[in-house]
Amino acid sequence: MNRTPRDELAEATEHGGLYLRRLIRAQLGLSTVALVTFGALVGALPLALLLLPGLQDVFVLGVPLPIFIIAWPPFPLFIAIAVLYARRAAALEESFRDLVEPRD
Amino acid sequence: MIAVGAILAVTGATIGLGLYGVRLARTTSDLFVASRAITPWWNAAAISGEYLSAASFLGIAGLQMKLGSGALWLPLGFTAGYLALLLFVAAPLRRFGAYTISDFAEARLRAPRIRVLAAVVVLLIAGFYLVPQLKGAGLTLGEVTGAPYWVGVLAVGAVVALNVASGGMRGITYVQAFQYWMKTFAIALPACLLLIHLGGLPERAAMFGQELPRAGDAGLVVALDEPQRVTFPEATAYAVDGVAGRAERGEELTLPAGELSLPPDAVVPVAEGIEAQTGEDWARPVESSGPSSPVFVYSLLLATFLGTMGLPHILVRFYTNPDGPAARRTTVRVLGLLALFYAFPVVYGALGRVLVPELYVTGATDSVVLRLPEAAWPGLGGELLGALVAAGAFAAFMSTASGLMVSVAGTISFDLWRGAAGVGTRRRRFRLAALGGVVVPVALALVARGLDISVLVGWAFALAASTFCPLLLLGIWWEGLTARGAAIGLVTGAVLATGAIFAGLALEDGHPTVNALLTQPAVISVPVAFAVMVAVSLADRPRRRAADAELLALHAPEGLGLGLEPDEGEVVSART
Repeated sequence: MNRTPRDELAEATEHGGLYLRRLIRAQLGLSTVALVTFGALVGALPLALLLLPGLQDVFVLGVPLPIFIIAWPPFPLFIAIAVLYARRAAALEESFRDLVEPRD
Repeated sequence: MIAVGAILAVTGATIGLGLYGVRLARTTSDLFVASRAITPWWNAAAISGEYLSAASFLGIAGLQMKLGSGALWLPLGFTAGYLALLLFVAAPLRRFGAYTISDFAEARLRAPRIRVLAAVVVLLIAGFYLVPQLKGAGLTLGEVTGAPYWVGVLAVGAVVALNVASGGMRGITYVQAFQYWMKTFAIALPACLLLIHLGGLPERAAMFGQELPRAGDAGLVVALDEPQRVTFPEATAYAVDGVAGRAERGEELTLPAGELSLPPDAVVPVAEGIEAQTGEDWARPVESSGPSSPVFVYSLLLATFLGTMGLPHILVRFYTNPDGPAARRTTVRVLGLLALFYAFPVVYGALGRVLVPELYVTGATDSVVLRLPEAAWPGLGGELLGALVAAGAFAAFMSTASGLMVSVAGTISFDLWRGAAGVGTRRRRFRLAALGGVVVPVALALVARGLDISVLVGWAFALAASTFCPLLLLGIWWEGLTARGAAIGLVTGAVLATGAIFAGLALEDGHPTVNALLTQPAVISVPVAFAVMVAVSLADRPRRRAADAELLALHAPEGLGLGLEPDEGEVVSART
């Protein structure tokens, strides 16, 4: 009998477990990359603003740069990370689907 | 009067739409099946509507005016929380079909007893989160009608409890979506007009320069309802009810109740707990010490980033997504909607410093959003805009408080109230729980009048981040988590976070860093909770059982016939 990856997963065999864990690891890896990107950009902000007090004297649209930086630009950044992540996560699932149920 | 009408209209619309929605849902027999037809945009607006609370509507601007631009980290964290939810929780949890954290804990760990523990934590978080909503209600009603603080707290507590008990607001997506747009419009319109105002404002120096907040060209009159302890940053003459006095620079005084008047351009005295700051200091988002110290900022960012996923009233909403990818699409849209809303509170915080400096005298900076329109445009225009923000504020705490009350009543009647029960008994228990569950938060809100809304909400986030965040993240991504590890980790996180918060309340003065950590303990309590969960689970390894079925249900993509397909979603919850 020819067992497909789908059967292996459904019957929770050792092979099935391997497929599943590979998917989980790939998803977790992707999420971690997105998290690190976010952390590097936003996490560095408080420290950067503390270490560069000179920014206080730069005005953008009548507002000191530090206020401006934390009040508006991070939000589009969040959305960009979110959109890219959601796209990649869907692609990972698509390739898992192809692996489990090959379309010939 | 216009404002009272606007508030009544919002309250009436909420209750009416809720009741109508329930009738609609009953005819389709299943609330959740009905909501599966809802698009990601509707869902996202509903989630944002339930999320944007008194803390977002009133608290951010209030704290910003009081402490300075360090408060602007709050909206950043409040929004980033949905990024964490998207990256680690949204899709798997939707696939798993568990729609409360108690359901998730029980089904993932196959341990019925952890349900009780999770339920207790839900009540703690919801309690912490309800108090500031009720405080906001008391404040707003007082601002609008002049009623004493307790009237608003009791009135809104009663309305919300009755509304939830009668079955209104039961996860009705359209009501919450309506509330989102209502709130955004209410905060955006005055803010846009105020921005134009800001362009022509001569007092820029008090905002970002060397000056302290001053009474305007015509002097300042402040009504003091009760004796008020204040500090005068500069020497100035003043009068209370016509009795003249003079304060030296740095003098601390207790002013009697009455009408305080200050001469033109006098530097305004500040209430206890507020530090008079020059515009330049006030504009700094991070400082080397004090309430905007890096430790505090990072702790706050961590609490909000990781705490959002643990808020009991938010996760339930994700269940109305049809599948995992839809849950992701919804979350991306939530980020967009929140970004839109959070563009505006900063305008109020900054302008409040110049236009309503009397709030520094009374310490009631949480009212800045409500006061600003009338201060900027005396007359009918200001009154109309003031009515709009008051209605928006009411929408904010009505929607959040109702969502929380549903979680509280559900948790009490379903998770904690043991014993078999039929549908009728269940419904009666739910009603009783809704009516009983509101008592404690109302009592606490009456006591907590002096605490800032944003600070109170910060605690709810710290608690959620220290308990449910590790439970969800480890439960979803690590097969090694055991029931014992989860339980001990939950208790550790909850005890650490609440302990620190209450210790911070009891300790008046201390080392600034210690104070910052006690006010916002997440930076310590979250890693400790994670470490305890992992360590105990590892020690528990011999008793661990394979979790392949659960992992499959969490992570297998839809359409393969693996895991749980959307329509079997209830299976996991019903498996108990």
